[in-house]
Amino acid sequence: MNVENTLAEAELTPGATSVDDATIREIVEKAKRETRIEYKDRGSFFTPRMRSINHLEVGRSKIITNPITIALEWAFEQWIAVKRRIKQVLADLFPRRDKIWCDRVDSHLVGRTIFGGDRGQGAPIHHLHLEFWGRTWLGSWRKLGQTRTDKDGQFRLPFDLRQARAFSMRKTYFEVHTTTRVYFKQDDPQFHFDLWKRIPIKPSDLIGMDYNLRTLRLDFWRYRENGYTPRAHVDTTTNAPEHYSEGRVDALISQVIPIELTKIKHLDQIEMDPGTLTIPQIQKDYPVNLTTCIEKYLPGYTRGDDWFGERMMNGMNRGYFQPDKTRKGRYWVRYFGKCWYEHNEIYALPDVDICFKLKKNGLPEPVEIHLTGKLSAYDTDPWQTRKYTPKDEPNWTYAKRVARVSGAFNTEVEEHFAGTHLNAEQFAVPCYRNLTLNPVAALLMPHLKEVSLINHTADKTLIGGYIQSASALSENGLKQRTRDIMGVQDWKGWRPMEPISPAHSCAKAEGMFWDVVCTYVDEFFALREAEIKEHWYEIYRFSEDLVNNAVPVAFTAPGDAPPEGDKWHDLAERRFDYYCGQYCFDPTLDRPVVDGQTRAISRITSAQSFDQAGPEDWQNLKDACKYAIMVATYLHTWINEHQYDDLGEVLYSCGGLRYGEKPRGIMAPEDDYDIAPDLVRSTQMLWFTNLLSRTEYGFITVNEENDVNPHFARLLEERREAFAALGVDVDSIESRTNI
Amino acid sequence: MSAKAHHSLGHMIAFWTRRIFDKAVLWIYCKVFALLLAMFLCLPGRKRMSHDNGIAGTGTLRIVDNPSFPAHDFFAPGREFPVRIRHASATFLDDAMNCIRSMSIKFSHDRFKSPFDIEMNTGQTSLFWSAVSFLKFAKLRRQKYGVEYRDFNRRYPDGLKGSMEAGRRHASSFENLRYNCKTPFLYNGSDGLRRYAKYRVIPADGAPETGIDPDPSEWDQCNQRILPHETRGRNYLKHEYEDRVARRGAHYKLQIQTHPASDGEDPEVFNNMVLWDEVAHPWHDLAEITITETLDWRESTMTTFSVNNMPKSLGVIPAQSIFDYNSVNYMRAHSEIARKARLLSYKLFGMVPPIPDNDNRNVEDWGV
Repeated sequence: MNVENTLAEAELTPGATSVDDATIREIVEKAKRETRIEYKDRGSFFTPRMRSINHLEVGRSKIITNPITIALEWAFEQWIAVKRRIKQVLADLFPRRDKIWCDRVDSHLVGRTIFGGDRGQGAPIHHLHLEFWGRTWLGSWRKLGQTRTDKDGQFRLPFDLRQARAFSMRKTYFEVHTTTRVYFKQDDPQFHFDLWKRIPIKPSDLIGMDYNLRTLRLDFWRYRENGYTPRAHVDTTTNAPEHYSEGRVDALISQVIPIELTKIKHLDQIEMDPGTLTIPQIQKDYPVNLTTCIEKYLPGYTRGDDWFGERMMNGMNRGYFQPDKTRKGRYWVRYFGKCWYEHNEIYALPDVDICFKLKKNGLPEPVEIHLTGKLSAYDTDPWQTRKYTPKDEPNWTYAKRVARVSGAFNTEVEEHFAGTHLNAEQFAVPCYRNLTLNPVAALLMPHLKEVSLINHTADKTLIGGYIQSASALSENGLKQRTRDIMGVQDWKGWRPMEPISPAHSCAKAEGMFWDVVCTYVDEFFALREAEIKEHWYEIYRFSEDLVNNAVPVAFTAPGDAPPEGDKWHDLAERRFDYYCGQYCFDPTLDRPVVDGQTRAISRITSAQSFDQAGPEDWQNLKDACKYAIMVATYLHTWINEHQYDDLGEVLYSCGGLRYGEKPRGIMAPEDDYDIAPDLVRSTQMLWFTNLLSRTEYGFITVNEENDVNPHFARLLEERREAFAALGVDVDSIESRTNI
Repeated sequence: MSAKAHHSLGHMIAFWTRRIFDKAVLWIYCKVFALLLAMFLCLPGRKRMSHDNGIAGTGTLRIVDNPSFPAHDFFAPGREFPVRIRHASATFLDDAMNCIRSMSIKFSHDRFKSPFDIEMNTGQTSLFWSAVSFLKFAKLRRQKYGVEYRDFNRRYPDGLKGSMEAGRRHASSFENLRYNCKTPFLYNGSDGLRRYAKYRVIPADGAPETGIDPDPSEWDQCNQRILPHETRGRNYLKHEYEDRVARRGAHYKLQIQTHPASDGEDPEVFNNMVLWDEVAHPWHDLAEITITETLDWRESTMTTFSVNNMPKSLGVIPAQSIFDYNSVNYMRAHSEIARKARLLSYKLFGMVPPIPDNDNRNVEDWGV
């Protein structure tokens, strides 16, 4: 059957296709190939440029378009490059050799390092690498001594006073180095140290015995004060705990410029003459996405029940199918609405419960949709439930759209941002704060890097920017919601989604990737068992930071509890029950209590040395590492790369439908633009989904920066075909959460 | 000539060049410092470098009859010397402040001339350990209203530790304190063996030491001011000593600790911040001191001591550089000009008056 002809001839109505399944599958695969993201030419000299990821804005990002400015920018970059080269030449001329200049240790630099952000006497920073350097009048460097901080952050760096006070010595420096990155040479991790702080010491101040540098408060991976969730304090203008790699920045900028220009064009047009722009025109200006591409060949198919069921199961949403307790073979997917969070009265966000049955091919078919809450500006009862079945056309089609939108909102805010971004960051901060000598650092760091930076950007552009203006919840509401979702994230007891049918490819691929992660982590631990056990204290501190900064179990802390009233409590219970299944959170586990609040994250170990560790601690550590890697790689990748497929067509799905002014509210056809996102939000949404899906960088198998353990990549390669059979390209699985 | 010989010769030249340079720097440091002291403190201010607030006394010193320390002709058993001692409180003219207390001993009744002088302070370790550290100590004093050495204490924990150990507040008497010379001296005994010696003085009756703060504050050690609601006068310790000596005299034991010298000696042996192990280096009684009379303010002020007043075999250990631990005594030995300048100032400008018993507290200058 000729696909092109079929498509042209076919005049399909929603849900009623005259084309056979095999042809549809062929069309869908063709559409996927057509909309596959490819990294094209970076453009010419005068192609507009962007300085960095930090210059991204929901409004107008700082783009350089003027040719003169571009030329000046180019000149500036050359100047920076020249400076860098001069620096490199100087470094080559005056190398910092590892030889320690010391005839006799008679003096020490002493002091203590603590985390700067902690109030009062902050927690000590253990195992920091410290060096003491001298620079002679002729410019050469001499290493005078080195040491590490002990468990209490104390240090006592030995050196030879006569070397430090040598006549030839011009300056001396005390340097704090931190492990910033891990690279792999063959399968061996190589740690890269970066200078974190340099303190000049006048040689004349060195007079023998001990020189006290006192308590050094280092702004080193400090926790954000008053954060809703455990976050790193990031200030990109002065002091960020980490930096993007150059490759990551280049990848983003080269991809984002065209869509940024499109967005700016739209915003200008809206500002000057909004009547000249429509949602379809906006849609047309952005690259074709999966649904619009399918619509081109199979009009109406993406609004049908088959596609709805397939995407709920294997699309971006990857819904959790909760078995119906009374009806065998029926499953419920639930998306919760405004609940008790701070919200606006512009956008609708009802609770959505979708009942599915499985078709013969194993894909789900929606049979009921329940919408609870306000559907129009005229509704007053937030508890009113409307039930729809396929017989209720056209409301059935409208209800599916409402369900898609609610699902997209839940997936973005809960599963994507909270479940992967914030979840990965809560592991990243203790990892960078505590793991230095322990090989677990080499296991985790490649997968946890850069997440704090992208989350910092998301605070401004997503939570504090786009989502709060394009959906029902306010910024505070969104923050509280993400905090509640973090309250059901725990490594202990986590397992991948169980496939409910042979067609549940999303769950099957997830299980397959989990097997790879388990094999990789188990082998890593077996290979480095002795070292991991030797430096168990770092694991203890990692675990303590993780637990002490974790959020309380959802809805349990006084500030997180639902409002008074049976209905609210019932809703909270239903939500908690569903989340427990969705996130594999076992509420019966004995969890740590800190400051009177039961924390969501389980403790890995209570022992400061492995000799005192409990029998489960070794496995706990492995499980926690597997979970952190899984979250930061596969789980994030899945949602991230499917965003443009499922959120790349404004009228198909979006962050929120507006009530509009009509009594029917959101139960209206797609051509009612009163309920669709406005023009600004439309272009911003397409810009965002393009940005997030198209600017990925840092893939496990591609290993652009040699920062991924080649063994991990090999394990994936071995399963390339098996993944491909499930629709997953192993080359597209990211090694870290950085977009 | 072989490459090895070249290597050795090169090293030798470098070694001696450095040694001569170090020695020259040390000499210049000490001379310049003493000169500055003489010009800007002792002569115009009629002051000692630190221990102005003191009282002297006279009596006798008798070497023990059955010495257990290595024999030395100067310390012959049973030998008696007339003795003049001086107790002082460092720097401030107020006995009630938290100060280091001192005892200097002169084996004669003269103001200056003597065959043997020894200067000691409270505490077992010092506040500085070399010439270079002493200069930093002096530079960072920054005294104001009885608060001093804040920056020094913050930067140099050993100096702070020495300060905490040496400070005495509300001592009941000069007699019951323990005084240590800290930096060792030469001790070439009668057997021809080279040794090093440290001296200390303890009360003859072994009375417990007073004035020790059992729980000093690290950050407030720089505050030496009198306590709020202080009832002790500015001269209470000197008055007590006058009364005590007049009533029953003051009795001390001078003790010695020796360490046999060896080639390639660990420099830490000379470090006044490091105590010698008392099991390997036990304290031996050297002499008994009895003070029968205290001297008036003028005589006390005119009494001066010098580490140069020692037999050669008991003198200052040569120092090689400003970093050498022995440079502390080397500096003392080269500060004669400051002493002479002070004595000259008395002739030119008159004797400094006794410290008045008034309410001008926490001061280091006479003032009113």
